Amino acid sequence: MRPKNILIAIAAGIALAAGGAVAYRISAPAVMPTTATVLPVPMPLPEFSLLDQYGTAFGPERFRGQWSLVFFGFTHCPDICPLTLQVLATAKRRLIDRRHTPLPYIIFVSVDPERDTPEVIGQYVEHFGTDTLGVTGDAIELRRLTDGLGIYFARTPTDGDGYSVDHSTVVLLINPDGDFRAVFGSPHDADNFVRDLPLIQSRR
Amino acid sequence: MTRNVVVIAVSLLVACVDESGPPLVVSDVVIKRPIPGATVSAGYLELKNTSGQPITITGIASPQFESVEIHETIIADGIVGMRPVAQLSIAPGLSVRLEPGGKHLMLKQADSEAETVTLQLYSGSEMIISLDAKFASPSY
Repeated sequence: MRPKNILIAIAAGIALAAGGAVAYRISAPAVMPTTATVLPVPMPLPEFSLLDQYGTAFGPERFRGQWSLVFFGFTHCPDICPLTLQVLATAKRRLIDRRHTPLPYIIFVSVDPERDTPEVIGQYVEHFGTDTLGVTGDAIELRRLTDGLGIYFARTPTDGDGYSVDHSTVVLLINPDGDFRAVFGSPHDADNFVRDLPLIQSRR
Repeated sequence: MTRNVVVIAVSLLVACVDESGPPLVVSDVVIKRPIPGATVSAGYLELKNTSGQPITITGIASPQFESVEIHETIIADGIVGMRPVAQLSIAPGLSVRLEPGGKHLMLKQADSEAETVTLQLYSGSEMIISLDAKFASPSY
């Protein structure tokens, strides 16, 4: 075979291989999140002004630059709230063990700002470790955030002058642009976050 | 016919054995300390009615808490709420589990110095059983 023909044969071979690879990529099923629902278009957060556990202003700009998993609850909730925060902490520890980056920040927003002062929520989230951040603040500002994200909460009276707070069980994922990117529905399991979070991050 | 007689005989034997034991057997008791910052925590346990009569728990007292209530975590349409359970009925021979994400004890204002917790379960004014448990870690 003449050198020119060899070159043509090599070029044809490369083209075939490349074409095959492209065809495989098109036809191969994409690995999709199995439990999280990813928004078709990331949604900007509403304007709001709350406080973190240190008493520092906490607005939408605080979500920029990192991935955040956000859960809404309250410290007078002895069962499902600590269970969910424990699941999130376990998921983050498993991601750390796998040397996954970027790691998500875990943010716990109180839907009971009257009883959950920055000091109270600060002590509370410290129990879970993994840099969990507590957020609370003005009730009207809280409502601006929750209404903008479709998060429900409402007081329900208990015995005497006490009350409990019904609230959404979802965990929201906010991307480093500060946009609402995906939602994890309950029941929550650490494995769901460990599996789906990296997939969503890679699709960014 | 012979088989039915055997079944009845065994049932009677079990009933006799049960008569000698306590009517309510409590197991898997986990009484959580409050998480720092929180004033409430949860308790979990299993109640087995070994008697031939239904047992109804109408109240729980404990010297280590301001109050102990039975609550239920209810999740519907993505919203979670907690509701008081006025009384807990346990049918003869059956068990009721109080467990994470379901029915649980709502423990308010714990004595932070206490190492052991005493729970007294009442049916009306009658105390059915008193039990002691060690305070458990708040972690799940």
